[in-house]
Amino acid sequence: MEIQSSKPNEASTLPWTEVSARKAREKRRNWAAMIWLFVVAALFPMMPGVEGWMASEATLIIMYIVAAQGVSILTGYTGLVTVGHGGFLAVGAYASALATKYFGTDLFTAIIVGAAAAAFVGCALGFVFLRLSGAFMAIGTLGFAFFIGTVVNNVPIFEGREGISLPANHVLGFEIGDIGFFYVSLLALAGTTLFIYALVHSAVGRAFMSLRDSEKAAEASGVNRIFYRTLAFTLSAAVTGVAGVLFAHYVNYVSSEVFGDIWYSVDFLVATVVGGSAVLLGPFVGGLFVAFLPTSIEFFVDQPGDLAFIIKGGALILVLMVAPAGAVEGVTRLFNRLFAGRRGGVQ
Amino acid sequence: MSSHLRCENVTVSFGGVIACNQITLDVPEGKIVGLIGPNGAGKTTLFNVLSRFQDYEEGHVYVRGQPVDAKKAHEMITNGMARTFQNINLFSEQTTLQNILIGAHHRIGDPFSNMLWLPNSRRNERELVNNAVEIATMLNLDMELDTVVKNLPYGFQKRIELARALAAKPEIILLDEPVAGCNDEETAELKSTIQKINRDLGVTVLLVEHDMSMVMSVCDYLYVINFGANLAEGTPAEVKSNPDVIKAYLGEEDE
Repeated sequence: MEIQSSKPNEASTLPWTEVSARKAREKRRNWAAMIWLFVVAALFPMMPGVEGWMASEATLIIMYIVAAQGVSILTGYTGLVTVGHGGFLAVGAYASALATKYFGTDLFTAIIVGAAAAAFVGCALGFVFLRLSGAFMAIGTLGFAFFIGTVVNNVPIFEGREGISLPANHVLGFEIGDIGFFYVSLLALAGTTLFIYALVHSAVGRAFMSLRDSEKAAEASGVNRIFYRTLAFTLSAAVTGVAGVLFAHYVNYVSSEVFGDIWYSVDFLVATVVGGSAVLLGPFVGGLFVAFLPTSIEFFVDQPGDLAFIIKGGALILVLMVAPAGAVEGVTRLFNRLFAGRRGGVQ
Repeated sequence: MSSHLRCENVTVSFGGVIACNQITLDVPEGKIVGLIGPNGAGKTTLFNVLSRFQDYEEGHVYVRGQPVDAKKAHEMITNGMARTFQNINLFSEQTTLQNILIGAHHRIGDPFSNMLWLPNSRRNERELVNNAVEIATMLNLDMELDTVVKNLPYGFQKRIELARALAAKPEIILLDEPVAGCNDEETAELKSTIQKINRDLGVTVLLVEHDMSMVMSVCDYLYVINFGANLAEGTPAEVKSNPDVIKAYLGEEDE
């Protein structure tokens, strides 16, 4: 799989002062767009004509976005294809479910517990898979998802197919409903988005991308391969773990039937790759696509699940053929090409 | 002149093939030293040994008298050593600036405070960017800082690799065929750059190169290896007139 960098423009031959000024302008514009996106999302439940189920659907989309963001850290920025992030989703979900069931934790605390548990497991897995890459990494992580599925199905504390039912969600002592949960999810998404932005624009993100592009050159530059690979695994797992917590508390129930399902892993990978794995907006587009697809075709067919699989597979193939760096990058490139003449005239 | 980089009796074998056989080499502080030899002589293997990308069965490597046998490749930069590769090994999807910044990786400080954008990390990051721009200016790359490197011509890519190695602020730099595949103009430019790095920045240079006129004019001292063993050493003039070297390069006349 070819994964391209997050680099949006290819214009060149400009002195650094001009380039950095243009970069600052671009950055301000991107931030403004991102803030608008969140403001619109925050106003969504209050808009006229929006019903309760729509807010729930939006919450589901947010969860997919967060999970795909986790995958993007590992697959997009570090170049390790993972087909096992459903496993981290389950770890986050079960850790928070157990904490809530036995200690009655608050939803915010549950998010921290779930993320920490997933991070811990991610760190361990990163260490185990230290020498894997490419297709072997994909198969290894797939095996991990199966492993977690088997564990939650058979170890008594996870209560297998019976599942664990959770009490109503509490935040800072207040009980929250569907709308409240939507806002908590949105807040979590804002947090993970900020986190990933800071990460990939720091020297650590640079080290991840250098390992993706050339391990040898990275090591010659002093990048500790073992440390950064394990760190990427840990952070990636933690973010997907947050999605797992949201999943568990969204339905107030966890069972091996839901979280032992490896199709989540595939969905998250599809979402990341379709949207664009090394672009900040990629998981947003991909998550929206994968999560909203079954609902959107429900109006037309009786069995949306089967058709959704076909459409997802088709979209994946199409994106890999037309825009291997993802839909966001593809559309950006198309726009740049369409308006290239006009821009050139201005300069 | 004190020794900067030294290897003693290094032996490396791949299966039954002995790539390096008891090779000894000494790079004095502040000099430009060349390592030459016919194809397959073991130059690149020796380079990989010195930069700790390659394990060896026998021998020792010292940097400023300290043994570095137990070091890993990514730790060599903390001993002041940076290197380039024979075939260009850049982060091809990233920009020139990003490529140069990776070279400065060992100067980022604590990765966790970088990840969280703590003030001291941001300050340090700005400093690294300024330094990278300075290096790019020195190597005539300042107009291409925001260009994805795969879109740049070969000569530029060679210089970016050099810039990336320099971003680490190395004390010694290992160049694996710095002008291979370059045209005359690019070769001349790289040659003067290497001399500038050595003279102005005081960086010790060890280079492998096949372009003999370049090697002879730029190096202070030469080591010649053949079939994985030391063949000759000396100043360029001495090496040029050494009969063993001529034999190794041109072959022997039939009796």
